[in-house]
Amino acid sequence: MARIRNHPLFPALVFLAGLFGQSAQGAEKVDFQTIGTLFRAKCFSCHGPEKQRANLRLDTPAGIQEGGDSGPVLEPGKPDSSRLLDAVLGRNGQNRMPPKGDPLSEKEVELVRAWIAEGAKMPASGKTATVDKSKHWSFQPITNPQVPQVIQPAWVKNSIDAFVLARLDREGLKPSPEADAITLMRRVSLDLTGLPSEPAQIANFIGRFGAQAYEKWVDHLLGQPAYGERWARVWLDQARYADSNGYSIDAPRSIWPWRDWVIQALNDDMPFDRFTTEQLAGDLIPGATVSQKVATGFHRNTQINEEGGVDKEQFRVESVIDRVGTTGSVWLGLTIACAQCHNHKFDPISQREYYQLFAFFNNQDEPSLTLVPAVMAKEQLESVGKVDKDGKKAKAKPKVEKPAITTMVLAERPVARQTKILLGGDFTRAGMEVDAGTPALLPSLNRASAVGKPNRLDLAQWLVSRINPLTSRVLVNRHWGHFFGLPLVETENDFGTQGSLPSHPDLLDWLATRFMEDGWSMKKLHRLVVNSATYRQSSAHRQDLDTRDPRNRLLARQKRIRLGAEAVRDSALVASGLLSDKVGGPSVFPPQPSGVDQFTQVRRPWVASEGPDRYRRGLYTHFWRAAPYPGLTVFDAPDAGTTCTRRNQSNTPLQALTLLNDQAYGECAHGLALRVLKEGAESQQSLVGRMFELAMARQPTEAERQRLGRFNEEQVRRLEGNSKVLDLLLAQGGQPGKELAARPEAAAGKAALVLLARLVLNLDEFITRE
Amino acid sequence: MHPNEMNALATETRRHFFRRCPVSLGGIALANLLGRDGLATGSTRVSTGDALCGLHHTPKAKRVIYLFMAGGPSQFELFEPKPELQKLHDQPIPESFVKGKRFAFMDTFSKERPKLLGTKRKFAPVGDAGLQVSELLPHFKYIANDVAFVRTVATDIFNHAPAKLFVNTGSAQSGRPSLGSWLSYGIGSESKDLPAFVVLQSGGRGPRGGAPLWGSGFLPTAHQGVPFRSMGDPIVSLSSPPGIDQQIQGETVEALADLNRLHQQSTGDSEITTRIKAYEMAYRMQSSAPELIDLKRESKETLDLYGATPGKPSFANNCVLARRMIERGVRFVQLYHTDWDHHGDTVNHLGGPLEKVCLETDRACAALVLDLKRRGLLEDTLVVWGGEFGRTPMGEVRELVGRNHHIDTFPMWFAGAGVKKGIVHGQTDEFGFAPVAGRAHVHDIQATVLHLCGIDHKKLTYRFQGRDFRLTDVHGELMAPILA
Repeated sequence: MARIRNHPLFPALVFLAGLFGQSAQGAEKVDFQTIGTLFRAKCFSCHGPEKQRANLRLDTPAGIQEGGDSGPVLEPGKPDSSRLLDAVLGRNGQNRMPPKGDPLSEKEVELVRAWIAEGAKMPASGKTATVDKSKHWSFQPITNPQVPQVIQPAWVKNSIDAFVLARLDREGLKPSPEADAITLMRRVSLDLTGLPSEPAQIANFIGRFGAQAYEKWVDHLLGQPAYGERWARVWLDQARYADSNGYSIDAPRSIWPWRDWVIQALNDDMPFDRFTTEQLAGDLIPGATVSQKVATGFHRNTQINEEGGVDKEQFRVESVIDRVGTTGSVWLGLTIACAQCHNHKFDPISQREYYQLFAFFNNQDEPSLTLVPAVMAKEQLESVGKVDKDGKKAKAKPKVEKPAITTMVLAERPVARQTKILLGGDFTRAGMEVDAGTPALLPSLNRASAVGKPNRLDLAQWLVSRINPLTSRVLVNRHWGHFFGLPLVETENDFGTQGSLPSHPDLLDWLATRFMEDGWSMKKLHRLVVNSATYRQSSAHRQDLDTRDPRNRLLARQKRIRLGAEAVRDSALVASGLLSDKVGGPSVFPPQPSGVDQFTQVRRPWVASEGPDRYRRGLYTHFWRAAPYPGLTVFDAPDAGTTCTRRNQSNTPLQALTLLNDQAYGECAHGLALRVLKEGAESQQSLVGRMFELAMARQPTEAERQRLGRFNEEQVRRLEGNSKVLDLLLAQGGQPGKELAARPEAAAGKAALVLLARLVLNLDEFITRE
Repeated sequence: MHPNEMNALATETRRHFFRRCPVSLGGIALANLLGRDGLATGSTRVSTGDALCGLHHTPKAKRVIYLFMAGGPSQFELFEPKPELQKLHDQPIPESFVKGKRFAFMDTFSKERPKLLGTKRKFAPVGDAGLQVSELLPHFKYIANDVAFVRTVATDIFNHAPAKLFVNTGSAQSGRPSLGSWLSYGIGSESKDLPAFVVLQSGGRGPRGGAPLWGSGFLPTAHQGVPFRSMGDPIVSLSSPPGIDQQIQGETVEALADLNRLHQQSTGDSEITTRIKAYEMAYRMQSSAPELIDLKRESKETLDLYGATPGKPSFANNCVLARRMIERGVRFVQLYHTDWDHHGDTVNHLGGPLEKVCLETDRACAALVLDLKRRGLLEDTLVVWGGEFGRTPMGEVRELVGRNHHIDTFPMWFAGAGVKKGIVHGQTDEFGFAPVAGRAHVHDIQATVLHLCGIDHKKLTYRFQGRDFRLTDVHGELMAPILA
């Protein structure tokens, strides 16, 4: 019985027992819980926490006893004189309740009658009914499933594979062979660091480690600073990071130190529970460090409306609404935002509970934290160290006046704001006051200290507590999607009842448990995934699968995935040898087509950075919300308007125009041409092959080599006779273009190589992780 | 491209840019049934620029030109003379009108009750319905009998950027798809070499809010509005870099196709076919877009009609461009003209600055309707005119004469496909403060525009973060009185 009592459905079971297991008119007492459950199902929507039609509320014993506008609803012991019974029966001049939906069944009416007849006993205080713990899969505790037995254990590299293979066995499908070493190493490099691998490095690892090359390569990549940059971008999407305030004015803002905090934390493999706590409530951690305060920038990435005539309170409330919705999507994978205006239509989250979550985020000031005051010298800026990870702080430099470095943070207000339910989600229509709290459908908030009201720190710790059934599942699922193109739960931001079911439920739970047991280590999770045989499969389509499993839910192969916006840019910079490996710092301004700000209210001049900052990773490109960098948005970078937990992968002509014509890519083409010429090669043919290899990490096939060669010859031939085009071509390409033009090789050959490089950088394979 | 393709449009819908519909309507229904597995729910991002195929009913409008007067034009200086307002000029507005209301610049209200402001403009009735139109819009009379004029549009939002977002996306927060992107998603493009949704801009600056106004929100980004600029490349990165002539570009695209095809043979991935086609369309766009924006190809008579001058960016030029675009199959062209925000400060007031924007737009708006009409395009093209809100009957306490933002009622007009000709809809109270009849909310406007395009606004949804979102949120009623 204890087992059953702990069952999430216990109240419902009691209710059913009340209905069918025993006679309601019998001698046994009617359990108040049964009545409460019935009230919740039939009455709360009008007489509950959110609405109190006729000033009657049935969700608390006090409310039931008090009655409503027409006076008491109960006469204990006398059911037939009680208005409540009149209402559910629709007699004695009462409209039948509930007015919409099914009326109470005969048995339910009898239950009510019996309860009143027995004296309408109820507790002195508390709630009428606890929320029915849903039986929905994702709200159940995370299990630790046994690793299944499989027919072909030899294929299994780690437990992930056993789960995948067991499913394939059931379906009578075979996994695909492992991809070749080069494809695999390029794939994992793009997935872990967002950068393609250099052919020489791959060859080096294969030469040094032979059969172990792949695992060694994975370890190497996990230690690269680029790892933190790549996964920071994933997090930045969810945080809706941008370098400007949005709305009309879209003024610049300084919050890049928070972005750098994320990079550093990921590179340090900060456990996700701490990563969460510091970002949601770093300021509330006793003895909070500067770094922990910087971390609270996560929820400062909301927009600010600076237009004249605004009601500041309105937009403060908008920010809080955004924070609640974002927190719900990012950590819980729940569409909590749906309950802003009304009870959630599908999941057991009430509007009241929405505002209880809202209360956690309703009590902050929004200051900027000065990290380096304006008058400070550069060397001190570098001694902030952790923020800027430059590593070259030893060099003393003369004191130069620099603008202050600030970052936007959250700070708890000493005096709490009252939080009231906003009727219809409208901030001008305040309803009942609520206290901070978590949705009843999830395990309750276990606070370290019972002093005061629960705050953001309690919320953060609750999100990452081991008994929270969602956070770990949501995280591993989302990360899985990055490695396979689709997450296990396809609706990765909706684990509620309207979401899709996991394709591999046991695998999801096993991963979620393992993730927590591994100390919430993201690097361990990533290592585990990429070392699996499942991950290492070839992505080639198979005819049998194209009909049986066209979307690859069963994972009998890998999937080709178009690179993310930043990785498209970064790949071109790597291939051309132009990439700056500087980590962190203020955002930068790579070349951008002119006139992008033509459609904004306040024009923001875009002066392209010179030197290494021109060739930084896409992650560092300054992001104006009103006029985002087109080279990124065209490849589906999100607009930083709302949290983005998964990007689109579109395939459009505007992408083609960008790669063909954007100056940023033009400089890469010149850079790649320059690079192969500098390396030197025995023949034109090997130049062509080398260029292809630098871009794809593999040698071209014979057919590809011929086609590339033919293109190259055609262009050389034409250019030789056309000095005007030749001069124009060789006058482009920024710094690498200048260097190329100055080289001694024949002009037509050099220019044709630029065209060839441009061709290679536009190939589908170049912007795809195979 | 010319009319009589309405039935074809209803049955043979097109995917965005280039893809043909792979499945029948039945197929879509099936996909919806299978939605739990994610095929159709597309919870966030499974689609790759595919437009949903199929319309809900036969459309009246095949395309839309939306003239967005950014800033909030003053109805009292343009269309809404109120004798009572003239009579009580400079008197405080009765408290019953403003009690409990919220306005922009609320802080100025707390000092004293704002005073009514009569207009200085002269009005005369135009068209068969006798709509009173001010001297600032002398060309409106030529189209009065083609227009369904609505006095009483209401919105919820009284600050510019969120109000513009609200009109465009049905939500005051960014992140939702705009009307044009919903249309692109719902019915795709008719053009093989131009985007489905194009945005044009004129006036002193861009509209407040910027890119989110024509964003695709959670819809695939292929559906977002493509800004055509009036200077430099009309589309970002449209021109080949210097030295790359058409022949080189053509041979590059050809070589790309061959090499991509080789790779497709080894991977079997059909996305590569899409990529090949994307490059071919990009290449075609490089020649079609410059031809499109070249206004020198228009007759002098046409240019004079609009008041357009090739090479000199203006709202008039954009109106000509809009017509050229819809002729080439662009589904939705949205023109922003800024600086309608006449508060009464020294820069923006109801004197010269208002006269200036009227002069910049009045003639071209009328010309556009007339030009579409004489070319037979007005039959199946919807023209929409309006701002993000209206202005108060009260003046503001500022240096010069002007009015505050007002959400209770503001004018819009519609012309062309599927709307009544020469009617005036809606009545406001004696001060023009609020509707007394015929109130039409922004969501109703959105529902009506979608309806005219053959779309049931309640059925065009997209699942995102667990909810089926639509342009009209949970609202929106058809404006039957203006439908033909």
